[in-house]
Amino acid sequence: MSEYYVCTGCALLCDDIEVDIEGNKVATVHAACRKGVARMKGCSDPMECTVDGEKAEVDTAISKAAEILSDAKNPLIFGHGNSSSEAQKRSIALAKKTGAYIDDTSSFCQGPIVEAILQDKIKTCTLDDVRHKADVIIFWGADPSNSHPRHLSRYSYFPRGKERQRGWEEDRTAITIDVRKSDTAVISGDNRFYQIPMGGDAEFMDALVSALSGKVPKTSYGFDVKRILELSGVLKKAKFGVICVGLGLVYSLEELEPLFKLMNKLNEVSDFNLIPMVGQYNMRGFNHDLFEETGYINRVKFNPETGEAEHGAEQSVVEALRNRSVDAALIIGSDPLSSLPLSVSRYLAEIPLITIDPCQNLTATRSTVTIPCALGGVEAGGTAIRMDGVEIEMKKIVDTDKLSDEEILTRITEAI
Amino acid sequence: MGFGQFLAAPEIKLKIVTYRDVFQNTAQETSRFGEDYEKLSAVIKLDPKDMVKLSIKEGETVVVKNAFGKVVVTAQSSGHEEAHQGIAYMVNGPWSNALVPDETGGTGVPKFKDFEATVQGSKGEKVTGIRDIF
Amino acid sequence: MASVMEIYQLLPKTNCKECGKSTCMAFAVDLLARKVKVDDCTPLVNDAKHKANYETLSEMFASVKNVTETGLIVHDEKCIGCGNCVVACPVNVANDPLGAGSGKAPTSDKVIFKVEDGVVKARNVQECRRFGENKILCVACIDTCPTKAIEFV
Repeated sequence: MSEYYVCTGCALLCDDIEVDIEGNKVATVHAACRKGVARMKGCSDPMECTVDGEKAEVDTAISKAAEILSDAKNPLIFGHGNSSSEAQKRSIALAKKTGAYIDDTSSFCQGPIVEAILQDKIKTCTLDDVRHKADVIIFWGADPSNSHPRHLSRYSYFPRGKERQRGWEEDRTAITIDVRKSDTAVISGDNRFYQIPMGGDAEFMDALVSALSGKVPKTSYGFDVKRILELSGVLKKAKFGVICVGLGLVYSLEELEPLFKLMNKLNEVSDFNLIPMVGQYNMRGFNHDLFEETGYINRVKFNPETGEAEHGAEQSVVEALRNRSVDAALIIGSDPLSSLPLSVSRYLAEIPLITIDPCQNLTATRSTVTIPCALGGVEAGGTAIRMDGVEIEMKKIVDTDKLSDEEILTRITEAI
Repeated sequence: MGFGQFLAAPEIKLKIVTYRDVFQNTAQETSRFGEDYEKLSAVIKLDPKDMVKLSIKEGETVVVKNAFGKVVVTAQSSGHEEAHQGIAYMVNGPWSNALVPDETGGTGVPKFKDFEATVQGSKGEKVTGIRDIF
Repeated sequence: MASVMEIYQLLPKTNCKECGKSTCMAFAVDLLARKVKVDDCTPLVNDAKHKANYETLSEMFASVKNVTETGLIVHDEKCIGCGNCVVACPVNVANDPLGAGSGKAPTSDKVIFKVEDGVVKARNVQECRRFGENKILCVACIDTCPTKAIEFV
């Protein structure tokens, strides 16, 4: 033992994982959480290589995939959250070559936050900074105990750090703001849990800004003024604060303005940073890659003639499907028939589909072509970007006959 | 055969809030087609008073539907200390996504966590299988 | 877990002293504290008329067979492997400040908690602050558990 691997169960990318291997399989996983262990041990129903529902050779499947993409006028390439950065770059190149729409799950989750960070509109820090320095940690619309189980123990609440030597009871304050009493809220404690109504986040932010400015904080839902004032007192006194933004907050805000205002105010009176609670292990990597290539983090359509990137809501996976403006799709490391509203994804089943994934999923059951790939971080190495923007190197743990997603994309691109 | 079968089961309109659950997520990593994933995903968590209104008991199945879809899932009491009548919780997954509206106001972001649906006792219907959601 | 009275009711109630205790009630108290085993009561084991009670008691204590000497139980099915207890446990911090104490995978063999296959495993429990001469009622692992997977009986 003592060789450390990276867990790809979520975008925490825990890099302190040891494994015992038996017969080229991961037999025991040390230090990873329950969900991470399930990821690293692999699924019980791997995807098969198929064309039109019949078992096929990988070469045949790759040619068929290339044919579908060349025949399409407006193909869509979607997924990427569970792909290495190397594969994502191949995907972007393939989209450029085929004049495709390209998007990822950030398009309907953490995208706006990651975009604001990459455009320097929001102050951010690394998780290591959080461990070493943070004394006030806010989980807003986030429940890491379920979504990122080791968040509190590795970085945000329990560990000792350079400037946090005395343990969580004395050194740190965890605060949860949410519409329901989540497991994380329970750990924060009743007096540090602020339960707000659905959609009440923006108003709560405005109220906090008022309180931090010495005004009376008011909400239309009559939140206890004393509690808001008390909370603003805690935030004011913070030496190094961090807001961990979950999907609950992202979905509740119609625009990010209230969040910008709160962050600005907090940084007038104290020092606050923000980290998005990214779900899939390399969603942020895709945002960085596409940003580097086009200046946009997601929602791009490449012009087939000029190769120029068009960007906007119209180019998002959801609108492209709603408007039925795509005529074929390549899905990589994602299961949109599970993760998108059925009312939106239903259309996918009407067009030629290609799925690349290690495991069988709903989208695969409706696909013309399915190509199994190596499991990232276990059967294939590469790089990925953690939720806080830090690049993490993943090593291969066991060998496989399967191609990596990077290799599959390269071969499809070459075949076009 | 009771008289009850001739009466329409009571139906109520609820706000659905979706959330994440680490056990369900673990089951998803192992198999999307497994029993565990269905057992942990095809569930709606209700306020006990709403369960009384629906005249259903813990573990019975209910039909949850709106203009966008319909699924049969198992009803459970939420176990939350605070009452939340009119609000029900569903874990994020294909069953909840079957009900998420396609309306986005052109933003590209559906309302995954906040939508309405009606809930009604199913009179013993089986939970919708993952392959049948579609 | 059953109460002392419930355990006592299942014992022979003869105060035979074969176990070394002065009364069956004293045995029941020690049994609950896990200082003695069900099998230490010879009449209960050997006498056919106590068979049903013996089985009930054995089952009662078998169901918590993961109990360590300090009475610590990890309910595997509830544990999510978050490692909060691993990092919060004062003994883990003292014995492995740069590993477990700093939020990382334990690097010392002297830690009490360690996550293996997504579930926390307790070892070296004699080091637990709730154990031994100077024991204190430490609750670091219980309070930090999001799913109430750790219990002391």
